[in-house]
Amino acid sequence: MKPWTDLFLTLPLPEHWLRIVLFVTFGLHLLFVLLMLGTAMIGLYFFLHAWLLGEPGQQSWNGKVVASHLGLKSLAVVLGVGPLLVIQVYYSEAFFTATGLFGYAWLAVIPLLIVAFLSIDAFGHKLGTRPRAHLLFGVLGLAALLTVPAIFTGALSLMERPDLWSGVGSRGLAADGGHVAHWLFRYLHVLGAAMVFGGAFHLFFSSRNNPERAARLGRWILVAALFQVVVGIPLLASVAAPLSPAALAAVTVGVAAVMALIWGFRAQEPEASQPQGPLSAVRLLVLLPVIFAAMLATRQWVQDGALGGVRAEALSARARQAVLLSAHQPQALAAFKAKLHTVYDNGKTIYEGSCQPCHGENGTGNGATARRLLVPAEDLSALRIDRTYAHKILLLGVPGSAMPYFTVFDRRKLESLLDELDSRFSMLAAPVAKSPVGGEARQAWNTTCATCHGQEGEVSAFGKTLQPAPPDLTRLALEPARGLTIITEGYPGTVMQPYRNLPEQVRTDLAALSGQLRKR
Amino acid sequence: MNFPILHIPGLGDGMTIALDAVLHVLISHGLAIGAVTMVVLFQALGAFGRGAFWTRLGRSMLGPLVVTTTSVGAVTGVGIWFITGGLAPGGIGALIHLFFWPWFIEWIAFTAEVVLLLTYYSLWDRIGDTRPRLLLAVGCGYVFMAVLSGILISGILGFMLTPDGWPEGQAFVQAYFNPTFVPQCVLRIAGGISLGALVALTWTAWTFQGAMEERARALRLCGLVFLGAAAVTVAGGAVYFSRVPQTYLTHWVFSVATSAFSQQPELLPLLNGAAGLLLVLAALAGVARRPVLCRILGIPALVLCVGLVAEFERVREFVRGPYLLPGYLYANQIPLVRTLAAVDEGMLPELRWVRENADDALASRSGRALFDANCGVCHTIGGVNDIKQRIAGRTLEGVNAITSITQTMVPFMTPFSGTEQERLTMSTYLYSLANKDARPAPQLRKEKKP
Repeated sequence: MKPWTDLFLTLPLPEHWLRIVLFVTFGLHLLFVLLMLGTAMIGLYFFLHAWLLGEPGQQSWNGKVVASHLGLKSLAVVLGVGPLLVIQVYYSEAFFTATGLFGYAWLAVIPLLIVAFLSIDAFGHKLGTRPRAHLLFGVLGLAALLTVPAIFTGALSLMERPDLWSGVGSRGLAADGGHVAHWLFRYLHVLGAAMVFGGAFHLFFSSRNNPERAARLGRWILVAALFQVVVGIPLLASVAAPLSPAALAAVTVGVAAVMALIWGFRAQEPEASQPQGPLSAVRLLVLLPVIFAAMLATRQWVQDGALGGVRAEALSARARQAVLLSAHQPQALAAFKAKLHTVYDNGKTIYEGSCQPCHGENGTGNGATARRLLVPAEDLSALRIDRTYAHKILLLGVPGSAMPYFTVFDRRKLESLLDELDSRFSMLAAPVAKSPVGGEARQAWNTTCATCHGQEGEVSAFGKTLQPAPPDLTRLALEPARGLTIITEGYPGTVMQPYRNLPEQVRTDLAALSGQLRKR
Repeated sequence: MNFPILHIPGLGDGMTIALDAVLHVLISHGLAIGAVTMVVLFQALGAFGRGAFWTRLGRSMLGPLVVTTTSVGAVTGVGIWFITGGLAPGGIGALIHLFFWPWFIEWIAFTAEVVLLLTYYSLWDRIGDTRPRLLLAVGCGYVFMAVLSGILISGILGFMLTPDGWPEGQAFVQAYFNPTFVPQCVLRIAGGISLGALVALTWTAWTFQGAMEERARALRLCGLVFLGAAAVTVAGGAVYFSRVPQTYLTHWVFSVATSAFSQQPELLPLLNGAAGLLLVLAALAGVARRPVLCRILGIPALVLCVGLVAEFERVREFVRGPYLLPGYLYANQIPLVRTLAAVDEGMLPELRWVRENADDALASRSGRALFDANCGVCHTIGGVNDIKQRIAGRTLEGVNAITSITQTMVPFMTPFSGTEQERLTMSTYLYSLANKDARPAPQLRKEKKP
């Protein structure tokens, strides 16, 4: 047998490889997320533009743009699984903690995405033929879609602030100025990036033969790039930890590339006749990947800086605990194997597991678990009970006592349990033979016992209000000796009080009488 | 318990995961594997000159399939990650560390699957007529990837029920290539193709436009594919269940019937048999080329398939009882060894993420935290499998006695993890919860006839 290991301590790859895989897979995912978001925004914006300015001819181009959403969103979703796998392995503690603290909002991503995707599919279907319906689907889809990055950026920015976790855990997502500001700018930065990359994507793939479109998209990208600069400054300022030199270098490269991009567009403005020359296309193709990689690297280094310490600490705590827990492994495995070989489909096993802890091996109610019960476990060996009634007790338990109900066992298993009870304790046997009962005992029954037990042994209306209620003596009888004990001592924890002041003969007769009431 | 504990009120964790997962299984098996395979089959028949109507029929199915699989199928698949990651981070985190590579390779297959499906879809109208065999190659590539991703995931699902020698040996090979791996692959893929054939049958019966004879041929093919695949599904299922330990299998009746119907266990085989019969009848209607009968039987047959899929997944998830990963982790994400250690060390020091609430007494807060950690994965407060209902009427020491023997009293319940004192704290909390605003016994309000 190998010592117990905490699975969280096993890594599938060396750490630096995991970081590289995370960088690459997350980059792929983010790229398609940006293209998907950008496409949805461009689609709705140009749809509104064409509709409100009365240019219905433009809608076919818009339709093509929106149609590309299907493929982009599919890739965005599947490519998201890769980084999700890696981050769950590499930053297990931080990721599961932050997403767990984000709670229901994190889970809401799934219904939001389904609504967003189906709405945008509906939005793009024969775009422009029924503008009001398309507007509704477009707005609904985009609103749902844009909520998702808000949740992601919120969870990830919380993840990068371990000092906030315990506060969020105990008091909820209370407004922490630094976190909220960072979250907001980070979210806006994602939207801006989506506008830039989505715009560039459609500049290349949807408007090659449409110079007027290309000009519009060019302006769209320019505005978005400027927006990124404006949002980027407070975003950088709101990062919790100081930037490492590597992150600083990456962000400098990215900013320089954005500046070059903006400058290129500005320089082009006067040449209205040729808004998208080959030069600017090449420039975009070079600059955009640089910007993307630089910003992604900055993000990763910021994250590594914030979480490196937390990760090491969590892993060493797990390693220490694993050593201690390993001592219990032999016992745990032995219990597991024993359980694996115990099949709860027969009365014997069910009795041992479910009844014996309280009622004891010989049924007298002396099981270890029953020791502290206020209402002692019944002595099963003294019961003579009708089968249907016994089944009913198993299904309802005895309210007012510890006796649970056992609907967790299906009918066949309960029947098998009843057979077992019968074979162990003759529980389902007929009651003992009748013996004569004196008049004094009959009178005592009628005036006293019947108050709860009913004249004929059926539970009286008052008796039914008791917790626990007395048993139905028309269907359940006790061995006379046990009956006598209960009458003499009472039944602890119930209203059945001791009647030891009655003459012994009366008590004996009452015990006999109570055993003779059984009709079934 | 290193992570925040999140539970879904009302619906409960299990039902929430089930809603997402069953929807995903229906789409990923029935549509992504099954129905798209039928589309590729139709396209192949068209490509090999068996009639242009096959291609038309395939094309008519493909659009809705692409939208459904990419918009709902893929998202519900990722949803399983999100929901289990939120509700059972200890469990999913342990699994992902153990099975990183199968999942990573499955992710690559999944990505390839989506790329091929999108390519297949976008190429259909462009080269469907001119180069049908090239298109067919793309379609076959898709089917291969879809089946591959189904196979890759089966090893992990199988491990969660039959970990074989892994708890002692802890070797990856033992864990992944476990006894139910192969039969589960067969079961899932053949089941998916059966469901896909039924979808194609119903779709053809209701929407086919063209000659009667052509529709009859399509229906016949769908019916035959269903019968063949269903026979393999049943055989795969039989082998699968023969390899599940008896101690788990014995819970299957309760897992489906629940407390509500556990005393009528004979209903289940009857209902399952009737459902199976109706599916076979629908397929036979196709084989017999009876479009009207196919229309009538097709939709109820599909609805029953939803039920059968939900039933299988419920049984598979439920019967392993107290374990999330048998031999390693209980269903409440507490490792087996941790439960033993907790007898002395207690659980409360570990429950770090307890929400403060000014209205709660400290003991009640601790009781709630212990309940959430120990029981909340299956029991809700006031919703599905309501703990208040489960312990209603029991006395306080009775509740405390019950919580001490859960794992033997109910074979699929986890043991309580914590010290004696912590158990009493939790029992007291639960007792007060069940008896808060307690009403007089029902007998007082309304006479009930026995």
